[in-house]
Amino acid sequence: MNRATPQMRSIAKHLMVTETRRNRSATAPPAAALPVTDKLRPYLATLVGKGGVRALLARALVLATVEVAWLRAAKVNADGDLEGFDTLGANLDPAEFMEGRVVLLAQLLGLLVAFVGPSLTSRLVGEVWPDVPLKARDFGKEHRREKAK
Amino acid sequence: MKKPSRTAKAASPTPPEGRSAKVKIHNLPTGVRGLDEILGGGVPEFSLNLIGGSPGCGKTTLVHQVAFANATRERPALYFTVLGEAVIKMLRYQQQFSFFDDSMVGDAVRFINLSDLVLENDLNAVLEEIIAQVTASNAGVVVVDSFRTLARKATSIAGEMEVQSLVHRLSQFLTSSEVTTFLVGEYVQEEIRDNPLFTMVDGILWLSQVTERNSVVRKLQVMKLRGQASVPGLHTVRIDNDGLQAFSRTLGLDSAKPKSSRRRRLSIGIPELDEMLGGGVIEGDSLLVAGPSGTGKSALATQFVAEGLRQGEPGIMVVFEERPEGYIQRADSFGLKLDEAENKGTLETLYLRPLDLSVDETMLAILEAIKRVGAKRVVIDSLVGFEMALAPGFRADFRESLYRMIGALTGAGITILSTVEVEDNFTSLQFSHYAISFLTDDIVRLRYVEIDGQLRKTMVVIKMRGGNHSKDIREYVITDKGVVVIHPRRTDYTKLSTGIPERTGPRKAQEDEIPPEAKAIG
Repeated sequence: MNRATPQMRSIAKHLMVTETRRNRSATAPPAAALPVTDKLRPYLATLVGKGGVRALLARALVLATVEVAWLRAAKVNADGDLEGFDTLGANLDPAEFMEGRVVLLAQLLGLLVAFVGPSLTSRLVGEVWPDVPLKARDFGKEHRREKAK
Repeated sequence: MKKPSRTAKAASPTPPEGRSAKVKIHNLPTGVRGLDEILGGGVPEFSLNLIGGSPGCGKTTLVHQVAFANATRERPALYFTVLGEAVIKMLRYQQQFSFFDDSMVGDAVRFINLSDLVLENDLNAVLEEIIAQVTASNAGVVVVDSFRTLARKATSIAGEMEVQSLVHRLSQFLTSSEVTTFLVGEYVQEEIRDNPLFTMVDGILWLSQVTERNSVVRKLQVMKLRGQASVPGLHTVRIDNDGLQAFSRTLGLDSAKPKSSRRRRLSIGIPELDEMLGGGVIEGDSLLVAGPSGTGKSALATQFVAEGLRQGEPGIMVVFEERPEGYIQRADSFGLKLDEAENKGTLETLYLRPLDLSVDETMLAILEAIKRVGAKRVVIDSLVGFEMALAPGFRADFRESLYRMIGALTGAGITILSTVEVEDNFTSLQFSHYAISFLTDDIVRLRYVEIDGQLRKTMVVIKMRGGNHSKDIREYVITDKGVVVIHPRRTDYTKLSTGIPERTGPRKAQEDEIPPEAKAIG
């Protein structure tokens, strides 16, 4: 099942761009390969525990791999860290690398929506990125469109 | 669902002047319909409570309702989860309930997973984390779900004392922080005696499930509640889209007013029957109409309600066997326009037929309808149907609950007419083999009697608690006016009450008397 719908991709891309831009500021530490996922993880862990985060990330990675073949080289370790991205990033075209990470994040967000619904997912994202406007994290748009049909 | 009031109530009245003022224990609303009344006003604030019971009883849903009913951004509810139900699933399921306000999640209601901490550290670390979170958030409500899992860790390492120490320190800190706490756990009743946790907590709410034949009945018991009087006993609980609903076994009827000594006589809508009753049924009486199928019990009940409406007395008809449309149609055929009263809101017909109803929730539905229309007359048609509509597990409680409800309603001046089907045998007169006649003030018995090759109908007033009544056995028919009593008392027959009367004396030199209803031809 592909949970990386166009809407999920759009939100994932927005978050990636926002976070990458923030990390490029003069005072920020060197850019991480997965800035959004890294920032989201502790919030998720508060809710579902480290084990829960690990399970969700592993599932998102499996789903994303169907579309993005190079993600097969990445893995989720016992602590819930995504491994292999630094090496992969160095060997891939930046646009391709970005696209793969967006798909992975979109799958993760899609999983959250599937489990706890658009509203709670939006609240969680809003908690992590309070400056991202509600409109830019509206996870229910596709659901509403489906319903209206 | 109507949101419960957040206004805390005082559990004790204001003391008279000059006496030392006792501490007022304010109550928190539970958000569970009916539960605050059972608890004696709500959950005492700053108390430490245990919500116990086996899996599937509704413990987690109950504490969610409490959390959402009391949480505010300034005093949030912290929901600590420990290795029990996966939080992601819990959120998935709980948000299906109407009380789950997702706009409160994250701010007013915060879910914090302690599973990793429990797995990797000792109980001190868990306690420190709870203290840190409560202090940082200024929480007003704390839930630990499941506390049993947390306690198991202690039991496996250092035994009972560690759990006692944890509960003691937790209680001390949370009470001092003005927090009301709910520990959720899967316990069995046998543990109550030996587990120190049960002694240390201020309140214990016990949820259970009882399976009888094909029905499952959920029950709630307030096993312990320090500081205030709760309603004792097992109360029925139902889980629906609004979450848990509790039905007090006393139906909140304890405060019913006693009957006044001067009560009016009310017309039943059948003048001759009114006469037989000594001028009508006494206001606030419970009248039982007993008879076999087809004798016109429902017709009589309809006339009783219609007459009340004519006199400006709103009514409720609770029907279990016939559909409400059937009632309205019959009333129409008698020229009684019940649909007009329904449209005006002075009459309500309740059709309660599901086979898994609890007696308490059925009673509550009736009581709510009575309040809605301000009913003065109530028809229950029939008691047999009422009992059949209940889940088997509730039937044992039926008479007790019915007794309580009838007592309280008639005490409040409402006049009740109940019907009951009895089989006719042709050797004696039973007025009700269904042992509820002790519930009634008055009994009217309808029966078939064989006269001149016809099965005719007779009625007799068996009992009238509040006054004298006619002893006559009167014949009646059902016409387009409803039940109509015909013929004066028959003195030319004996053994009418057996259904096979005998003529006394010689047959009169006349043709057979004209039957009231045409004989079948052919």
